[in-house]
Amino acid sequence: MSTRPDVLTDHEYDGIQEYDNPTPGWWHWIFWGTVVFSACYFVFFHMSPESWTVEESYELAVARNLEQQFSEIGDLTPDEATIVRFMDDEKWLKVGKSTFAAECVTCHGADASGLVGPNLTDEHFKNVKTITDIASVVMNGAANGAMPAQKNRMHPNKIVLVSSYVASLRGQNLPGPRGAEGEVIPPWPAATETESSATDTPNEQQP
Amino acid sequence: MADHAAAVSTTQPVPATAPGGATERFQYDDGISRAFLLMTLIWGAVAMLVGVIAAIELALPEANLGIPFITFGRLRPLHTNAAIFAFAGNAIFVAVYYSTQRLCKARMYSDWLSWFHFWGWQVIIVCAALTLPSGITQSKEYAELEWPIDVLIAVVWVAFGINVIATMIKRRERHMYVALWFYIATIVTVAVLHIFNNLVIPAGLFKSYSIYAGAQDAFMQWWYGHNAVAFFLTTPFLGLMYYFLPKAAERPIFSYRLSIVHFWSLVFIYIWAGPHHLHYTAVPAWASTLGMLFSVMLWMPSWGGMINGLLTLRGAWHKVAADPILKFFVVGITFYGMATFEGPLLSVKSVNALSHYTDWTIAHVHAGALGWNGFMTFGMLYWLMPRLFQAPLWSPKLMNTHFWVGTIGILLYIVPIYVAGLTQGLMWRAIDEDGQLAYNFVESVTRLIPMYWVRIIGGTLFLLGLIMCFVNMLMTWAKRPAKYDSPVHEAPPVGSGYAEQPAQSRLGTAVVDVAHKLDIWSQAVWHRRWERLPIRFTVMVTLAVVIASLFEIVPTFVIKSNIPTIATVTPYTPLELAGRDIYVAEGCYNCHSQMIRPILSETIRYGEYSKPGEFVYDHPFQWGSRRIGPDLAREGNSNPMGSWHLKHFENPKQITQGSIMPPYPWLLYDPLDFESLPSRLRAMQQLGVPYTEDEVEACIASAQMQAREVAKRIIEESAGTDPRLGSKDVPLEDTKVVALIAYIQRLGVDIYKTPEEPGESVTLREGR
Repeated sequence: MSTRPDVLTDHEYDGIQEYDNPTPGWWHWIFWGTVVFSACYFVFFHMSPESWTVEESYELAVARNLEQQFSEIGDLTPDEATIVRFMDDEKWLKVGKSTFAAECVTCHGADASGLVGPNLTDEHFKNVKTITDIASVVMNGAANGAMPAQKNRMHPNKIVLVSSYVASLRGQNLPGPRGAEGEVIPPWPAATETESSATDTPNEQQP
Repeated sequence: MADHAAAVSTTQPVPATAPGGATERFQYDDGISRAFLLMTLIWGAVAMLVGVIAAIELALPEANLGIPFITFGRLRPLHTNAAIFAFAGNAIFVAVYYSTQRLCKARMYSDWLSWFHFWGWQVIIVCAALTLPSGITQSKEYAELEWPIDVLIAVVWVAFGINVIATMIKRRERHMYVALWFYIATIVTVAVLHIFNNLVIPAGLFKSYSIYAGAQDAFMQWWYGHNAVAFFLTTPFLGLMYYFLPKAAERPIFSYRLSIVHFWSLVFIYIWAGPHHLHYTAVPAWASTLGMLFSVMLWMPSWGGMINGLLTLRGAWHKVAADPILKFFVVGITFYGMATFEGPLLSVKSVNALSHYTDWTIAHVHAGALGWNGFMTFGMLYWLMPRLFQAPLWSPKLMNTHFWVGTIGILLYIVPIYVAGLTQGLMWRAIDEDGQLAYNFVESVTRLIPMYWVRIIGGTLFLLGLIMCFVNMLMTWAKRPAKYDSPVHEAPPVGSGYAEQPAQSRLGTAVVDVAHKLDIWSQAVWHRRWERLPIRFTVMVTLAVVIASLFEIVPTFVIKSNIPTIATVTPYTPLELAGRDIYVAEGCYNCHSQMIRPILSETIRYGEYSKPGEFVYDHPFQWGSRRIGPDLAREGNSNPMGSWHLKHFENPKQITQGSIMPPYPWLLYDPLDFESLPSRLRAMQQLGVPYTEDEVEACIASAQMQAREVAKRIIEESAGTDPRLGSKDVPLEDTKVVALIAYIQRLGVDIYKTPEEPGESVTLREGR
């Protein structure tokens, strides 16, 4: 506050008077500061080739995220050996599990024992005869689209990993609300690669 | 300037002019202020009670007792409308009627218009209280009321405006005080906003469709929505502050020149800021940037009001400690300062990426609404009670208790909700070391429940404070005199022989000419002239507001590239349209957004981000502003099973443990209104939605056919039986739920379809 004494204007309305004080200096500094900032911001983000759009920074984030997720394993194909291999890989099965939690639990239930979609923890399967059929159902859907096709929406690696996770659920035989559906099918093939981490890490235990 | 009105006390009718003819005699109409004061407190109690019930329902969804009318989606619009237009609205009118007459030294232009305004406004509020819980809504936030009520609002508001401006014209005070400037800005701008945001095509008495669609509708809505805050909750309350604060403190206003600077900068800059509600959504980037930058520039114009308020109390702080009225004002102005700093902060895009859709916004608006609007209102009401009821305030002690209960109530409301908002925002965006989402949506919901309970305590305390105010008012009123004294005032009319004092440069001779001119300009004699000309002043305010608006609105509507079309996006089928109308009526948009932003955590959770071309048939848009529940923009891809939705509507907890969505059992049995479909499609046709004549004529049959298909699939998915519990008098295919499911299954699927003809193809990216 300045030490200058307040000077009244000659205004008076219903007993209300007004001082003739100037607007505080810091008010002007900050106000014009925001104006200059705004002009610079607009020029940089909408006129400068150096800047980037929201979409560009989003694409970058997506690319980095995919790298974070899949840099070690490269591109996976949904064949028998690959799906079986990841059933025993604790680290990557977690990705399958979180994909399942994000995409599948609304119909198959949080513990996969079925809800409006069938129980995935028992020995009965509706559209699956071999382990690779799991990936086909995920990719192409089933039951006239009640099970939606994911091939355009889900990363191919995630399709493999979620298939491995679903395969790993078998045999828990949790009681589901729908009862057994489909047929009993032969057990999954055993892991073929001896260098698999199966020996030093136990299979993913169910929550 | 010292032509004080002499007050002579009498109850006899008085002649209009005093003997001799030099002065005129007049009496103020305080009855109208008393009436609005009573309704402020009655509707305030209703608004806050509804708010507390809505808050309880978030913590305890069963609290709606299964009653559709008080389910959260229908109650929340009632709460916001009642708080803004009924509580704050009536408070504004108390202030305007009381202070305008005194600042103009004139009775209101027309008592008839005053009372028409009073009764019209109360009828509007009653209509709102009846229609909103019944699901009659336009679904645009704070503009939910359907078109017949909108017409009534426009008529009543214009009547109010004419009455106030005509009073200014026949005033006996030569200059208009700053409070009146703010009233003028309020009157003009609210009228413009209300009319242009509510342009609709009716499809019956209780149903209409916005003439704007998708991104353009969103743009208009938030131009309106943001400026409803600006010109209904800010400018009239600044006017109120400029009158009642110096009155209560008995101190001059700190700075006349600051009043001028912050008034004009506020009015001009505020109007641009609306698009900051739409950051990262499918509106053009330039609009979003303008919304942010004008919000940042708005910081100081807003604070001008706070400075002028708080510095007016210099030399009077000892009074603040002793006088609860001044305490209300000081806390109110402080909350204004905090909220208007937080507003620009939240409008910065990167902050908004975190805060948007979360409870942070809810905490922000309640700091403003409870702190600024609530406390300024209470301070004003307590100051007025002894004056309007002409008896000493019944209990100053109770007033002081109200102040403390209210202050603690505000803090207990906003602090947990700030924490809740940050918690939500951070949980949604958290990505673990494997590049996966760290939390399910429902985990972010259950985490907030304890904070919701604390909010309920805070809100209840604030309501309790209002009830104390009500009691104090009633007891003061009970001690009123048998007949109110209505003093006769005397003042000369404003003659034409006013000699303006030309400004002199106060600078020495050692400066250039420009500096002298600038100094003369800064003395604001030019503005002093405007203050003598109410019509010109009104025109200037209108120009400031309209020109600023057009700068943004015109490009939004004329630049084609703002909304690239997508060939596979087609209009809703008649059944889906009927389902959409149910989505609107149930107020689903109050909890669910339909707008996925190009933000990694969001596309991982919900799917490919939303494109402007996806919403071209959305009259009105349903982007929403909150995620109490998850986004639904791609729900058609995510949960395609009808039987899942049916079970979920019957009781969401059957599907998701921890869900706070209320059950909607009535949708499973209420019959769908097929008969009104042709009128709805016709309205859509008028809006340019390409339904053919054949489609409109056959719409009932085609809707029934699609309903049979949806119902059949649901039954098939449920092992061949109707999955509904309870009575089944209404076949599934005739129920509302089937239409709603058809609509939801359509959401966000169009861009994945293969184009039938060569057209713009849509590339799909890994979005999950």
